[in-house]
Amino acid sequence: MTPLRLLWYCLWVTPHALQGMILLVMVRRRLDRQFPMFFLYTVFEVLQFVVLFTISQSHLQFGEAYARVYSVGLALSTAVRFSVIHELFGHFFRRYPTLDGVRQLLFRGTIVVMLLVAVGLAVSAPGNGADFLVRITYVLDRTVSALQCGLLISLLWFSRYFVLSWRSHAFGIALGLGILASVELATSAIWLHLGAFGNIAVNLFTMATYNCCVLIWIFCLTAEDRRPQYPTNRSPKLPTYDLEIWNQELERLLHQ
Amino acid sequence: MIVALILALSALLALFFLVRLTRGRTLNLNVLENPTEHIRSVDVEAFRNLVDPGEEEFLRTNLPPAEFRMIQRERLRAAVEYVSCAAQNAAILLRLADAGRRSSDLATAEAAEKLVNNALRLRLYALHAIPRLYLGMIFPGAGISAVRIVESYEQMTRQVVLLGCLQYPTRGVSAAL
Repeated sequence: MTPLRLLWYCLWVTPHALQGMILLVMVRRRLDRQFPMFFLYTVFEVLQFVVLFTISQSHLQFGEAYARVYSVGLALSTAVRFSVIHELFGHFFRRYPTLDGVRQLLFRGTIVVMLLVAVGLAVSAPGNGADFLVRITYVLDRTVSALQCGLLISLLWFSRYFVLSWRSHAFGIALGLGILASVELATSAIWLHLGAFGNIAVNLFTMATYNCCVLIWIFCLTAEDRRPQYPTNRSPKLPTYDLEIWNQELERLLHQ
Repeated sequence: MIVALILALSALLALFFLVRLTRGRTLNLNVLENPTEHIRSVDVEAFRNLVDPGEEEFLRTNLPPAEFRMIQRERLRAAVEYVSCAAQNAAILLRLADAGRRSSDLATAEAAEKLVNNALRLRLYALHAIPRLYLGMIFPGAGISAVRIVESYEQMTRQVVLLGCLQYPTRGVSAAL
């Protein structure tokens, strides 16, 4: 086995082994109840890996059967990833009922806008691979990456704008998915330029990114879920100088 | 080739935004160390005057159209400043009130909850109002109003005072009431 092949196998096997660990951590810390969709996504990724790895080691190797199973798995995994993003939207806004309408509007609005962008991209560059299945996978992958990237960035931006208190677990999951989606978008651009799947350097880069994302998930899920930290030596105080101004304002209002 | 380039640039921008948003998360927490340095005072009366439709109507009828448009643009530019200040204050109060929500004292927790909701509402109005005010600068006669921001800011002011009274009863804040 060549060193490159060895590296390729390492990058392929490692994240899935780590995802097995994520499953254990989630069950042990009862996070599977808090993030059922992310748990399902992780289970699915591990199962998909087992099936694909088994096929690759059989006489079928990386042939047509492998490509088919990979394409179907990618479609299912993408659908589950959307559910994970929806779940994250729920987590970020859950503590703020005032923003319930905004959450729905944001999720649907972003989907509509990003879908229009993604469809525009798909129409303008439909992909030029010979195989129909590969071509469709190509276009779908690009569309979905753009959509998920847009959703996650808008989620993080809005939660920052509304100064929502971010819980580490949800934040880590969102960050990992966001990095993965943006790198997949970049690789889809490279594939589009090269005109074919399967460039070894691009594949290795995508796999390395996936490893990093899994590490982010492990780090965030094993860390204590902390609320925003306030100075420990004193409780957060309302600013006195401004309270005075507000007091005067209030007094004026009450005397109106 | 162009589509590939657009995609690659979008992906890079997305990564950049993600990193920035992650950094912003830690910076937000630093604001709590010294809230007074970040809070900016807002003259509610002046703000109300700027977005008062009656005032706008008065200027429209008493000034030549060109002068009205110029003054209206200036007024709306100032209103944008006020809205931004109010929204920034709301963000800081939101962080502070969020801590108050976990208070063991029910009245404090309830007051903090109300303040959080109102501050969120104000940020939401600001999100609507700022683009509308800019639109008003382009079309000065369109009659764009941001009265809801003023109302929300006043409501938030009352809740800050109430929360202040509940958290620090010995400071004499309640005496003003």
